[in-house]
Amino acid sequence: MTDDHIAQHLGRIAAQDRAAFRALYAAASAKLMGVLLRILGDRAEAEDALQEVFTRVWLRAGKFDATRGQGMTWLIALARNHAIDRLRARPPRAEGDDAMEALADTAPRAEVQLVARGEARRVADCFDRLEPDRAAALRGAYLQGQSYADLAARHAVPLNTMRTWLRRGLLSLRECLEP
Amino acid sequence: MSEPPIPALPEDDALAAELALGVLEGTERAAAEARLRRDPALMARVIAWQERLAPLNHGFAEAPVPPDMLNRIEARLFPAPAPRRTLWMTLAGLGLAGVTALALVAFLVFSIPPARVEAVLTAENGTLTYDAVFDGLRLTVTRVAGEPAPEGQVHELWIIAPGAAPVSLGLLARGPLVVAYPTPPAGWVLAVTVEPAGGAPEGKPTGPVMMQTEITL
Repeated sequence: MTDDHIAQHLGRIAAQDRAAFRALYAAASAKLMGVLLRILGDRAEAEDALQEVFTRVWLRAGKFDATRGQGMTWLIALARNHAIDRLRARPPRAEGDDAMEALADTAPRAEVQLVARGEARRVADCFDRLEPDRAAALRGAYLQGQSYADLAARHAVPLNTMRTWLRRGLLSLRECLEP
Repeated sequence: MSEPPIPALPEDDALAAELALGVLEGTERAAAEARLRRDPALMARVIAWQERLAPLNHGFAEAPVPPDMLNRIEARLFPAPAPRRTLWMTLAGLGLAGVTALALVAFLVFSIPPARVEAVLTAENGTLTYDAVFDGLRLTVTRVAGEPAPEGQVHELWIIAPGAAPVSLGLLARGPLVVAYPTPPAGWVLAVTVEPAGGAPEGKPTGPVMMQTEITL
């Protein structure tokens, strides 16, 4: 019924199928490593996090509900959440880091150019309609795991302003995607 | 610049989006995640936002994984049945020949670890006891002595694989806890901590460990 292979693997992993676990690992590990590396910015920590993520995949596969979403989306959400847990547990960063990041992020990056097809194309179009600052804040939150406080510092606005920006951006995005 | 008040992104949907993005921090994040664990409607909204934002996943490039990573993960999840191998090597070392040794090895290889495993968790002062039973498909935890956690607190059950972080199996409230869970290998640990109502805020134990026990087969 479904051609979501990741979802099929997850269904079998929930029944303790180790072969399915290996197949899932082969299909998803490079992508999840990319997610962890992008958010954590440190290879050793990303490798450590990848072990933890696959441990949780084995233990929690039964919680995945194929009627509500895609297998890969679930996996990436699991990896993002774990990476963000680690980020938030880090001690506060020194001044200056944010300034460096802000500088580095002013240049357009390859990964911001979304693949222009299907759903991705729609989201890309909807992002184009957002004010550039708000779109940048949303991408920073999603791709780099930045918190409201990080984003407020990076865009030099008060935290509540950032919250308003982001919530407006999300509302516009939702309206654009679901006309 | 005075912008009009935020229009109809209902508060829960905004919170769900914030949870899907992960932009919250500290106590706000902890409170939101605690609510998420007991609010299926909010969870459904979070999943809907994850799907809505999923096309952004194209922004994550794939990255190379060390070649031994799968072995490391499997070693952690599926510890080798060490005693069996030791005995096999002992037999080989002794040079025991013929049918007897073969039969013994066959017996050892084909004997299936017990599906049903029981563990007892007792508080140090002995006033509270939980019985944990793995039947191969489910874990059932029943309070057989003592009282549940007082108002505002809850007992949370954790499983800990060797060298891994604790993973929550659920909250021990008034009735028995039943979760789909395979029988863990020997050496894994069950533990109960005292947590604020709703469970450990960030999925990691925060309260004192009341009791713990190692799985033995």
